[in-house]
Amino acid sequence: MAQEEKIANGVKGMTVIVKTISSWVKMLIILFGIYIVITGHLTPGGGFAGGVILASSYVLLMLAFGREFVEENLSLPVASKLDCLGAFLFALIAILGFVLSGSFFANFLFQKYLPGKVLELVSAGTIPLSNIAIGLKVGASLFLIILIFSICCKDFKPGAPVNGKE
Amino acid sequence: MLYALCFLLFMIGLYCAVVKKNMVKITIGILIMEYAVNLFLIMLGYRLGGRAPIVGKEDLAGAGGQVSDLFVSRCVDPLPQALVLTAIVISLGSLALMISICIRTYEKYGTFDITKIRRLRG
Repeated sequence: MAQEEKIANGVKGMTVIVKTISSWVKMLIILFGIYIVITGHLTPGGGFAGGVILASSYVLLMLAFGREFVEENLSLPVASKLDCLGAFLFALIAILGFVLSGSFFANFLFQKYLPGKVLELVSAGTIPLSNIAIGLKVGASLFLIILIFSICCKDFKPGAPVNGKE
Repeated sequence: MLYALCFLLFMIGLYCAVVKKNMVKITIGILIMEYAVNLFLIMLGYRLGGRAPIVGKEDLAGAGGQVSDLFVSRCVDPLPQALVLTAIVISLGSLALMISICIRTYEKYGTFDITKIRRLRG
């Protein structure tokens, strides 16, 4: 209910039509991004494409509702932590391959613990986990790039001297 | 012939990055150069009448999950595509860096012209 009130009498952002449609569509976009990330080892797509789709859902919300609405949902420190978590998970998977199987990025789950069959969802060992880590990393960092550009251009005066000099 | 067109596109980007004085145009020139290199790499892996290197159920032969010889003989090379995907990610990062440099410069000097940015102000 609180969100519908925000849609109705929000001053920031675009018109009511855009806000309503984007509030319907946002979950579909997020679901599609998660689908692309999870089935990245079977179909076209993968971590990068799915991460871009996940970030684009938040960019859609930013365009429709304004920057403050998005920052309430996914604030800048939280997105930064998600970014670091994705990179950390990817490095952790790589180093676990080194520790458990002897070579960097070795697919240790596939050989020992998780045989699986070809072309099934749980089949490729560490590759889906790496895809999830990359999706987290790319989505959070792309969201951060656009959010930081938006914050940077908030009070933008061309040619104004910085730090009050001259 | 097609590779020469790639080279031509690269030269257009190089001309734009070297000759123009606007920072945004230099950014666009660098991006055109990156896209020319990506196009060249994709065309290296192209095969006439080939198909996308995505393994479906009908492309498997034998019980061990081996890919059939027909699929290997017909699909295009997936390695340049993976390489180009990585290059696109890197060009995205460098694009964000270049645009942020452009924004900060315009905020500080009020111009995009690189010949007018002469003084280094602290």
